[in-house]
Amino acid sequence: MTERLPLLLPEIAMFIGTCLVLVLGLSPSLAARKMTGIVTGGTLLLAGILAVNTSTGYASQIGMPMPGLIGFGKALIALVGLLLVLLVAGTVDRGYERMILAGRATYNASRALRAEFYAFFLFSLMGAMLCASADDLIWLFLALELTSLPTYVMVVMSRAGSDVGGDSKAWSRAQEASVKYFFLGALGAAIFLYGFALLYGGTGSTKLVEIGAALSPSAEPNTIAIIGLVMSLVGVSFKIAAVPMHFYTADVYEGASAPVAAFLAFTPKTAGIITMVLLATAAGWGYRDTGLMIGGDRGTLPPAADVVLWIMAIATMTVGNVMAWMQTSVKRVLAYSSIAHSGYMLVGIIAGPGNGSFEQNGIAATLFYLLCYGVMNLGAFAVLACLENSSDESELQTVDDLRGLGRRHPALGWVFVLCCMSMLGLPPLLGFIGKFGLFTSGISAGRLPLVVILGLNSAIAAFYYLKLVAMVWLEEPGDAQDRVRPVPFGTRRIAAILSATGVVVLAVFANQLAVSSQEAARRGPGVMLKPRSAERVEPAAPATPESVAAVDRVR
Amino acid sequence: MLNLAESITSLLTTATDAAGGLQQAAGHGAAEAAAHGATHATDVVMGPWYVLLIPLLPMLGVVLVTLTALLGIRTKLPAWLTVACLGGAFATTVVMYWNVSAGPAVTYGFRWIDLATGNGHRFTADFGLYVDSLTCLWMLFVTGLGTLIALYASEYMADDLKAGYARFFMAFNLFVFSMACLVMADNLVLMFLGWEGVGLCSYLLIGYYFKKPSAVAASKKAFVVNRIGDLGLLMGIFLTYVEFGTVQYAELFPMVEPYVELVKSGMAWDVPMRVGLIPVLFMVGAFGKSAQLPLFVWLPDAMEGPTPVSALIHAATMVTAGVYLIARTYAFFVVSPIALPIVAWVGAATALVSATIGMAQFDIKRIMAYSTVSQLGYMFCGLAFLSTAGAAFHVLTHAFFKAMLFLACGAVMHGFAGQLDLRKLSGVAFMKGWGIVGIAMFVGCLNLAGFPFTAGYFSKDMILAEAFVTQGPGYSVLGWVLLVTAGLTAYYTFRVFFRVFVGPRHAEPGDDHHDHAHDAGEHGDAEPDHHHGFHPHAPGWAINLVLALLTVGSIAAAGLYFVDKENHGWVGGMIHNSSAYTSAGSAAFLDSANIGMHVDDPVGTGHSADHDDAHGGAHGTLFGQDPHKIMYYVSAVFGVVGILTAAYLHGPKGPLGLFIGGRTKAATSRADGLADAMMPLPTYARNKWYFDEFYGALIVKPLRALSHVFHLIDKLLIDGLVNLIGSLPRFVASLIRPSQSGLLQGYAAGMAAGLAVVVVTVWMVIAVTGGGS
Repeated sequence: MTERLPLLLPEIAMFIGTCLVLVLGLSPSLAARKMTGIVTGGTLLLAGILAVNTSTGYASQIGMPMPGLIGFGKALIALVGLLLVLLVAGTVDRGYERMILAGRATYNASRALRAEFYAFFLFSLMGAMLCASADDLIWLFLALELTSLPTYVMVVMSRAGSDVGGDSKAWSRAQEASVKYFFLGALGAAIFLYGFALLYGGTGSTKLVEIGAALSPSAEPNTIAIIGLVMSLVGVSFKIAAVPMHFYTADVYEGASAPVAAFLAFTPKTAGIITMVLLATAAGWGYRDTGLMIGGDRGTLPPAADVVLWIMAIATMTVGNVMAWMQTSVKRVLAYSSIAHSGYMLVGIIAGPGNGSFEQNGIAATLFYLLCYGVMNLGAFAVLACLENSSDESELQTVDDLRGLGRRHPALGWVFVLCCMSMLGLPPLLGFIGKFGLFTSGISAGRLPLVVILGLNSAIAAFYYLKLVAMVWLEEPGDAQDRVRPVPFGTRRIAAILSATGVVVLAVFANQLAVSSQEAARRGPGVMLKPRSAERVEPAAPATPESVAAVDRVR
Repeated sequence: MLNLAESITSLLTTATDAAGGLQQAAGHGAAEAAAHGATHATDVVMGPWYVLLIPLLPMLGVVLVTLTALLGIRTKLPAWLTVACLGGAFATTVVMYWNVSAGPAVTYGFRWIDLATGNGHRFTADFGLYVDSLTCLWMLFVTGLGTLIALYASEYMADDLKAGYARFFMAFNLFVFSMACLVMADNLVLMFLGWEGVGLCSYLLIGYYFKKPSAVAASKKAFVVNRIGDLGLLMGIFLTYVEFGTVQYAELFPMVEPYVELVKSGMAWDVPMRVGLIPVLFMVGAFGKSAQLPLFVWLPDAMEGPTPVSALIHAATMVTAGVYLIARTYAFFVVSPIALPIVAWVGAATALVSATIGMAQFDIKRIMAYSTVSQLGYMFCGLAFLSTAGAAFHVLTHAFFKAMLFLACGAVMHGFAGQLDLRKLSGVAFMKGWGIVGIAMFVGCLNLAGFPFTAGYFSKDMILAEAFVTQGPGYSVLGWVLLVTAGLTAYYTFRVFFRVFVGPRHAEPGDDHHDHAHDAGEHGDAEPDHHHGFHPHAPGWAINLVLALLTVGSIAAAGLYFVDKENHGWVGGMIHNSSAYTSAGSAAFLDSANIGMHVDDPVGTGHSADHDDAHGGAHGTLFGQDPHKIMYYVSAVFGVVGILTAAYLHGPKGPLGLFIGGRTKAATSRADGLADAMMPLPTYARNKWYFDEFYGALIVKPLRALSHVFHLIDKLLIDGLVNLIGSLPRFVASLIRPSQSGLLQGYAAGMAAGLAVVVVTVWMVIAVTGGGS
């Protein structure tokens, strides 16, 4: 077990940071309390640097299922996490700190939420990172739950109670959302835990690599394991808010404040996508290297899993987009659109790794899209987090509140428009390149109906994204919009502008990002199955650092 | 990003077999081209760097003039910036001319387009300039005239200082930049950029007075008609790439050489169809840009633009782009057995038809426009008669004298409140301050009429003589057509001169408003006339200077004919060193080899600029004489007869009417009487032989009817479908919506139901596939 430690350096850094944050946030000194956010950011920065330096070669030596994914996933989580830190500033204790400053209350550590909030924040991100370094079902389950459990509490924390000057209606909605989220999350967890149990029951192992071997077509048909795999995928799809596990999404996002909604839209989803990629990779696509090919020269998922994912992808895209169009609340629009994005990413998982090059590699496309989605979705939520009603500091509710935003606040207007355009997939923005990868991988996998539906859904998405864009830039603001004012937290604005910049600038470096997501989507030699017939042996060289470097040089 | 772009193309090739096959064909050509290109590209001399300044200086002008507009400068600064930039470009061109006269050189700018076309082949096009003497010849008059006309426009456009001054000069600079790209490009794609660029500037400048509906309509008409030609050119470029795998001139010309050899050895019909089709497509583009039948209708309407634009773009430079294109790709035309005869017939027909229309018009600018169309017809004929030197010489002389004629007409228009009707003006040359305009007009008219010893006379003779020398389908008939047209040209040219510039002084002002920030104080010296207090304002120094320079220039241009006699004049020498010659030379070889005796094989009986040295067995005659010698007299007779007719019908009484004219007031009874006698022909001609109506009935109306049908289809069927599809998500949503009740138990039930569906699905799949796999 200890040989795993060098790969866990980011998580270790995160854990230390979490402990610091817990202590700092409870300090009676305001200056120390204010350090909490900074320490959180610093921790993520450190974790990000450590993640980038993760040795893929070492990971493949010790038999990790997807060595490249470890560094890539954690770096991605740390990067978007940094933006999220900027965004969540001022979410908790705003009213309470103001009361202390005004002398209407004295500091009481048991009433302050800051420490817990930032600690949960880091814990949840850490859970997502741990998913990326998983090679075992138990590890995976714990990591997933570590991701989710803090978020249940964060939802309710994100709204101020009426005792500290919060809106009592919003507060009770947050409580409701939190409880709903918890119970439904527990149901989802139960489903995938049952699936894990069946997988173990069918194969006698919790190791992903061994499960993969047992599910290979060269092995005996294993109905129990297949059902276990499908149930795991369906259960985990709760994390990514895919149909039929999507019901909670809109209610929970609406109940939470905008920064936390942005957090919910990213962190559990990332953990879920990474888990699904690991499960799918363990179960499928390994056939290629054994020489037992199904579906031409590319591997495939077990048919049952394939069919279920196919249905889920289509249903998720369609339900997400159609419902998003019907909404009047901005946050619900974004919630449903995030459901639709999950559907898009499922297309990549179904398409599979192809021949490994970016435009044929659905896994790489999914991971790349995860990054795109993280940046652009965060930008859209950030604009909401940057604005409030001047009367009661409540958040913007309806789409109409954004009318003429571009005239009043051009910077926020541009951020919103760029992020919406990117989510719509308009060239030359980042979202276009992300969707491009999904399209090409789907086409090269021969999944034309799926790709056509993806295209139709993009068209439906245009309805509501363009409606938002038109509302922001084409409409004149009216009197009702006079009460909208920016929040007094400058870092939120920075987060918004940074993500909009990312949408444009990262598109320029899309080639490098595509290459690294392609590396991340590579399976480790540990997943390779022992070939049954000797003459079919195609020795795959272990991906030592030298060979990885050689691959890079060839590119 | 490059990888992504490649992957797009590679994906496309794999996606559809048909497309893949096409790509492969193109790729195959490209491979050959690479082999060819490698050997020939090394032969090309590297051109000097400074030629890049020629397109870049006008581009700098665009930027600077735009800046003045942005800074809100409302002075004549944009004009001076333009004159400076274009003057610099002209100076650079002169330097280029002195240094680059020995064969082609290519100056590489940067790689402009670099695409993978699949199968490992690349399509590339550079921003590179191909410099040979043909380039020099064209650029000399483009930049030279551009500078002079910009100077002229600085005064002419002064009334618009507040409105569009900077806009005008921005488009003016952009035009010269585009023209430089067109003429100097080292590949067909960059040439096409320039081609479209000049079209765009033409559109912008014709519609310069965008508040005038007729100007807007004219600019649209020019744009749309040009699209038809551009489509041909574009398809020609595509076909060239498919066939030869490259668009670079330096690689293309050597690759056409084998086909020229084939034609030389009498196997003209063995040239592949597709190669023979390329010049036909190019030709369509040339007809559009150079306003030849049947696409000439846009040019007369283009006179809605400001006169400097008419002078530079629609007389001197842009409209000769078609001639340039054919001269540049002459090798292609030589190998096609049908291209040049079509050019000849279309050119001659255009010359005759537009001359007859010009005879019946009253708007002097329009008369000049029709004469431009007519003279362009001569140039095309020159090309078709294998006399590229004659065509190029006519382009050069025509550029000078036609620009001058337009500028003189523009001065009249400027001074008389937009009056262009020749029935309402008389004796302009004798009003105070109009002397230079009168002299310029006179010299220009002599040139256009082909009066002996003018530049226009020599250049026209070169073309006319070749009509009788070169054998081709009906070429001698075309020669007679062109001779008659020369007489008609002389008539309508001097009709304008006798009516407007000499005779009793009379002027009715026009009613154009754009022209008249009329300032009596400034132009108080103008001649008072009978027309209640209207004061025409005489041209200022800029207009007079430009007119004087052009007058001297067009007189001096005649001298070019006697320089470098060996190659038939200075222009012949220039052509001798260019791509337009190489093929002409091989045609001369044909001539001496005495192969092409078939009348239907024009190339086989080809003839070149140096026919004096190499006369084959098939030399035509005129009145039993050598056409080259006797043409001097024949065409002079036609020209003089035309002038005398004009003098008789329109000339004033007295010496200025050559003693045969009888006009004593602005109107003339003789011409009107003749017109009445010839009815209804003059009416037909005045109405442009109903070309516009014909096109209207044949093309515009059916298209409009069709568009109504499509509109209905769009409204009923497409909109209906879209609305149906649009309501579909709403319908689906209304089905899903109840599931979003907000109730925890409802959501949990939903998840459970979803799971149930999944389990059933899995069970079914496993049942079908029979087990784990």
